Amino acid sequence: MKKLILKSILYTFLILITLEGFVRIFHLGKDTPTRFLDEHKVEKWKPNQNGFSVTGNRRQNFSEYHINNSGFNSYREFNPTKEKTEIALVGDSFIEGFHQNYYNSIGKKIEKSIPKIEVYEYGYAGYDFADQLHLIYVYEEQFSLIDHIILGIKFSNDLNRNEYHVVNSRLALESPMNKLLKKSKLLVYAKSIGILDPPQELVYRLINSIKPKTKKKPIDEIEVSRIKEENEKKHLANFENLISKYGYDKQRFTLLLDSRITSDLFLSYLDLNNFNYIDFASSFEASDRPVTLIYDRHWNNHGRELIARLISEYINKKQRL
Amino acid sequence: MLFNSLDFFIFLPIVFILYWFIFYKKLQIQNFYILAASYIFYGLWDWRFLFLILASTLVDFFIGQAIHNNDAKRKKKMCLWVSIIFNIGLLGFFKYYNFFIDSWGDFLTVFGYELKNTWTLQIILPVGISFYTFQTMSYSLDIYYKRLTPTKNFIAFATFVSFFPQLVAGPIERASNLLSQITTKRVFNYTQCKEGLKLILWGLFKKVAIADSIAPIVDDIFANYSDYPASTLILGVSLFSFQVYGDFSGYSDIAIGTAKLFGIELMSNFKFPTFSRNVAEYWQRWHVSLSTWFRHYVYIPLGGSRVSKLKSVRNIVIIFLVSGFWHGANWTFIVWGAIHALLYIPIFLMGRNRIYMNTVVAENRWLPNIKEVVQIFITFLLVTFSRVFFRSESISDAFGFLKQICSDFTYENYQHPLGYRMIDYFILLAVFVLYEFRIRRDERSPFKFKSQIVRFIVYTMVILGMLLFFDDNIDRSFIYFQF
Repeated sequence: MKKLILKSILYTFLILITLEGFVRIFHLGKDTPTRFLDEHKVEKWKPNQNGFSVTGNRRQNFSEYHINNSGFNSYREFNPTKEKTEIALVGDSFIEGFHQNYYNSIGKKIEKSIPKIEVYEYGYAGYDFADQLHLIYVYEEQFSLIDHIILGIKFSNDLNRNEYHVVNSRLALESPMNKLLKKSKLLVYAKSIGILDPPQELVYRLINSIKPKTKKKPIDEIEVSRIKEENEKKHLANFENLISKYGYDKQRFTLLLDSRITSDLFLSYLDLNNFNYIDFASSFEASDRPVTLIYDRHWNNHGRELIARLISEYINKKQRL
Repeated sequence: MLFNSLDFFIFLPIVFILYWFIFYKKLQIQNFYILAASYIFYGLWDWRFLFLILASTLVDFFIGQAIHNNDAKRKKKMCLWVSIIFNIGLLGFFKYYNFFIDSWGDFLTVFGYELKNTWTLQIILPVGISFYTFQTMSYSLDIYYKRLTPTKNFIAFATFVSFFPQLVAGPIERASNLLSQITTKRVFNYTQCKEGLKLILWGLFKKVAIADSIAPIVDDIFANYSDYPASTLILGVSLFSFQVYGDFSGYSDIAIGTAKLFGIELMSNFKFPTFSRNVAEYWQRWHVSLSTWFRHYVYIPLGGSRVSKLKSVRNIVIIFLVSGFWHGANWTFIVWGAIHALLYIPIFLMGRNRIYMNTVVAENRWLPNIKEVVQIFITFLLVTFSRVFFRSESISDAFGFLKQICSDFTYENYQHPLGYRMIDYFILLAVFVLYEFRIRRDERSPFKFKSQIVRFIVYTMVILGMLLFFDDNIDRSFIYFQF
């Protein structure tokens, strides 16, 4: 019996080491850059990091990223001046674009279609509207030199807060324990393909079974629509709070949104108050090809092309005016 | 509790360690412990159906003794019929009740009557009912035919009926094999445990990497067959052949491997049926525990092949139809059985049904000859064709599927429903088939290599294969749980 247990442990250990080697050699697991909180309490990536983002068990999506001096994934450095024309794209993972090669980003596509323009991509996974406006506010000196600022916004997700504060749960990913775990590419790979979900679920199940159970009241349709309406009003109030707190230049700022997932209340508010926005819903809907990746809901190359085209057309139109 | 779930991988080591460290001293304790573990294993799925297992156990335990103790043949026969009626009754109610009601309704409709829907019931099919009822029935039948002396040890008998590694999907054991091991004290055997772990690993690979990874493709093709050309439909049903094989033989390997960990040897259930040279050989290699059950308890009592040719053909038709019906309460399974009867009868009439009984393809060679390759290919085609009925939801779907193959006989590149590269799956299956061919001589030793380094590399590759093809978002239950 002892022999069986010892041999099993030995074999398990050796197999894990070999698998770690395989995952590293074939680059099956993704690299994750290090994040930090800068002097303005803005969460971003540590400058000058390179790596590869991998999606799927068998490297179905493989792309290179490059974190520039400003701490964002981009092929260029951000040096705005009064002389040049610059566009800033500010947003979450869709703008950050780890699922695309950094030299083939939305920004690069826009630069290809509008000569003599520089596009700065301030994308960071998890950024909501508070993060975005706070970033522009604390880096006012830099952003005031940028001619057009496009802010990606998802009404249902990005307006849960009415002011900025540091998201500690995200920064906890940089804890010494997490850093240590990230060193094992096999572990990162296993987590990304979902093989570690059952143990995690088991832990939650156990925790929930210990917690005292509170009976949830069933919610009827009227209640559901009441909650929805309340949330929409809250999100709109948060939007108003954020723009009054951190400032919003209607001339230079433009929202990038999908009207299919945006409340009518918010859209009519934007129209009524002369906020500029680019709606990519009809463009995506009319597309005869898929616009998102197979493995996750981020935009694929075609989706990014469409977004870049819409932004370029919008900027051209604005410049003509 | 699924063999490929985390719950099982927590359950198994705990049960295993306690078994060999604490409960190993006395046979009675060993058996009681295994029985308790088996009831927990089953009860975690649905504890209410434990009473069915207990009822089936009690009935056959006492009937076995009654058959043995009665001298009068009439009384013996009566006792046997009680067992058969009870077990078939359980099956009939839980598995076939709605089928009979629906079929009766359809029959009446032909004559202009209409049966109201209220006759059918919302019944949950208890997992494993087709397996353990057949196992308990075989006990009573063996006693009746004087092939077995009944046990007086109820715990041992209850353990035989509910032994958790094979409780829900077989192999369907005979008392002569399993009960005799349960009534003997097990001692720890390092080699046996090691072999058990290897089989578990290989079974998991077949389930996770082969069956589960191609399941979304098969599901997509069968669900939308009217939208696809012949090339895709042929691909779909061929992949289903691999899926069902990987799924069920994977389950059987894990079951046999798990039993080995507890010092029990279960019978082999799959002997590389992919390399069968005709349909008769296929049935000697596919779901062996079920086909031998039907041979022993249906075919031979009917006269087997010792009667006239005509009666033998009748017997063959009967066992294939019953076998089809055993799989599920649907006409598709009956047609599937009928097709196999039609494929088997010519081989039987030509006297070629036993010619490959004790041999494997390319017996003393590295590679099969051209004749063997052609034979394997034809057998695979025929068996795969029958699986259109096995997989389709209804007879009309099955015929629709075949009609679509004939009417749209064109080729089109198939796109994976989730967009994955199809080439990955073709490479995986090619490697799998070649590897299985390499190990075809011994289904119980999937990693038979002299060199320890080669063995280690293969273990690692097998685990890597599982990681590469693991799919987080699919239903991971076993196909044969529905039977």
